[in-house]
Amino acid sequence: MSTTAARMGRDAEISSTTKTKLHILLVEDDSADRDLILRELGKSEFEISSEVVQTAEEFRQRIRTRCPDVVLADYNLGQWRGTEALDILREEGLDIPLILVSGTIGDMTAVDCIKQGATDYVLKDSLARLPVALRRALNDRKSREERQRAQESLARKVEELARSNHDLEQFAYVASHDLQEPLRMVAAYTQLLAERYRGKLDEQADKYINYAVDGAARMQGLIKDLLAFSRVGRQEIELTSTDCNEVVKLAMKNLQASIMESGAVVKYEHLPGLMANGSQLQQVFQNLIGNAIKFHGPETPVVQISAEMQGKKWMFSVADNGIGISPEHAENIFVIFHRLHARTEYAGNGIGLSICKKIIERHGGRIAAASRAGGGTIFKFTLPAGKPDEIRNH
Amino acid sequence: MMGTEAEILLVDDNPADLDLTCDALAQSEWLSHVSTVIDGEEAIAFLHRKGKYATAPRPHLVLLDLNLPRKDGRSVLADVKSDPVLRRIPVVIFSSSRASPDIERCYELGANSYVSKPATLGEWISTVKLVKEYWIGCACLPGEEEQ
Amino acid sequence: MNSNETDILLVEDSKDDAELAIHALRRENLANNIFTARDGEEALDFLFCRGPFAERSFDHPPKLVLLDLKLPKVDGIEVLKQLKQDLRTRFIPVVILTSSKEERDLVHGYELGVNSYIQKPVDFEQFRQTVKTVGLYWMVNNQRPANRETTKAAGQGS
Repeated sequence: MSTTAARMGRDAEISSTTKTKLHILLVEDDSADRDLILRELGKSEFEISSEVVQTAEEFRQRIRTRCPDVVLADYNLGQWRGTEALDILREEGLDIPLILVSGTIGDMTAVDCIKQGATDYVLKDSLARLPVALRRALNDRKSREERQRAQESLARKVEELARSNHDLEQFAYVASHDLQEPLRMVAAYTQLLAERYRGKLDEQADKYINYAVDGAARMQGLIKDLLAFSRVGRQEIELTSTDCNEVVKLAMKNLQASIMESGAVVKYEHLPGLMANGSQLQQVFQNLIGNAIKFHGPETPVVQISAEMQGKKWMFSVADNGIGISPEHAENIFVIFHRLHARTEYAGNGIGLSICKKIIERHGGRIAAASRAGGGTIFKFTLPAGKPDEIRNH
Repeated sequence: MMGTEAEILLVDDNPADLDLTCDALAQSEWLSHVSTVIDGEEAIAFLHRKGKYATAPRPHLVLLDLNLPRKDGRSVLADVKSDPVLRRIPVVIFSSSRASPDIERCYELGANSYVSKPATLGEWISTVKLVKEYWIGCACLPGEEEQ
Repeated sequence: MNSNETDILLVEDSKDDAELAIHALRRENLANNIFTARDGEEALDFLFCRGPFAERSFDHPPKLVLLDLKLPKVDGIEVLKQLKQDLRTRFIPVVILTSSKEERDLVHGYELGVNSYIQKPVDFEQFRQTVKTVGLYWMVNNQRPANRETTKAAGQGS
């Protein structure tokens, strides 16, 4: 046996899909059948080691001490049935292929056995089929294990990514938060310097001090915006029943000053109610309407807000008659701190739209900008319209 | 309203902040004398008139930062508010923290008021002036307690 | 007016003083909703959400209590004591606003944990100025401990 085994072992090593060693637990009370089965197994491409048990207690004990790779069980075991072994395996939480071996087994019962969890069945007068069944069972299990490993690996990667993301957001928040205080010192004292010594040193000094004051003020603005941006991602998004008309009204209330100053007209009607984070949605509308007014053209700014249902989503549009946007910039404008104009032309740090994008995406939607045919820009974004249960896990 | 000169104790470990606050306090019309200490242990020593502070004036108002070396602001606050004599002194927390847990904790420990350090020079000056105008110019503070 | 949206609880039995204070606060836009309680019992009912104020919620306390000392039914010191002893109400800023010049009252007030003690000026104009400063300080400058409702879901603002 050993030389044959060795040769078989070598052969098996060359083959890539079969296992070389197999430990089989044979549940068989008839010695003749047992010998038959073992002989047939010996002809297979596997190097078989085996144990034999007869009773359920023996079976349970044996699978606890040494886990077999496969269980071969006779269907008829006198006191018990081979299918009970399936129950025992399940109780012990073991995923081991079980092949039923039986003298006679009607088609009906055979299907039942498979339904109950047996991997296969082989008739005692067709034992030649045993190695095939064995191989198939093992391959099945291997695929199942691989699939599970892949899923676990994916889950781990997703978790790592989420954690890394979280760390980054934490960092952005902590960094910008901690930067505020020393920055405050620089800003305040450069300003004091400017106030106390302007005109008392020389022109160069005045210029230097002004640059320092400007720089500090800009830094403060950037940090403030960065904090606002990282705050969007910090907490769990809590969705409540939100009336978009009310949200727009609130946004407009906050923009009262610039609306009055520019004489802007903001039109909206029949906006839907949906599940969203009201205060974040308000930020979105406030940013979009504010931009529409800020980047106005020669005419009085007119902003139109509407929404239409598209399948399971609401598609919102915020359209203006302002300076418009060229196609090559349409995507960039959502990048954090990205500005299209010089600081002297339009104020702002370029964070409003990146905050909008972050908020919309956290809600499970998308946002994009495009130029309007007659001039101006239109921002479109989607929000899920589903019932509360459907949107829960974003 | 203080008839006499008000004694204010400023507790802050950042000399830049101390300077700014002293400047702002000096700009207000109400007469006041400001003492400054830079850590929590000094603050306690000053208030209890221990060691080099044996002749220190008892403050009518304390402006207290939270993040201090050696003994932090919350600990100072707790000490002051559990002392039978010192606890009458109004303590105004003056801190850059805007975190709710910090604010709640201070009120729990008995702070009379909590003011956040503003971000800009202009706001800093006006805030400190309002603090002084309110506590020294408007409110009644417990008088000097004899030892 | 929804009494849960009260900004300031003014506890004052003198109609004149109350009117003057409310006028001063409204003029500076320091408070929208001011509720006046005429005696200590009404003040306590209001703050402890009971009796005629049973629909009030502890989650919506007033942002400031202006408390006179000489009150009918239950005096100001007693109101202060109960307020500062109860966990549900002790974080509400309380400012005693009284004509009393008694050092005793002053010390007692601070010992009981009053946030601040103000003596009412006799002069009308000074009174107005004082109320304005008080309002400005406690409604604008001072940071209050978080209202429980702000820690709930950031739902629809109203």
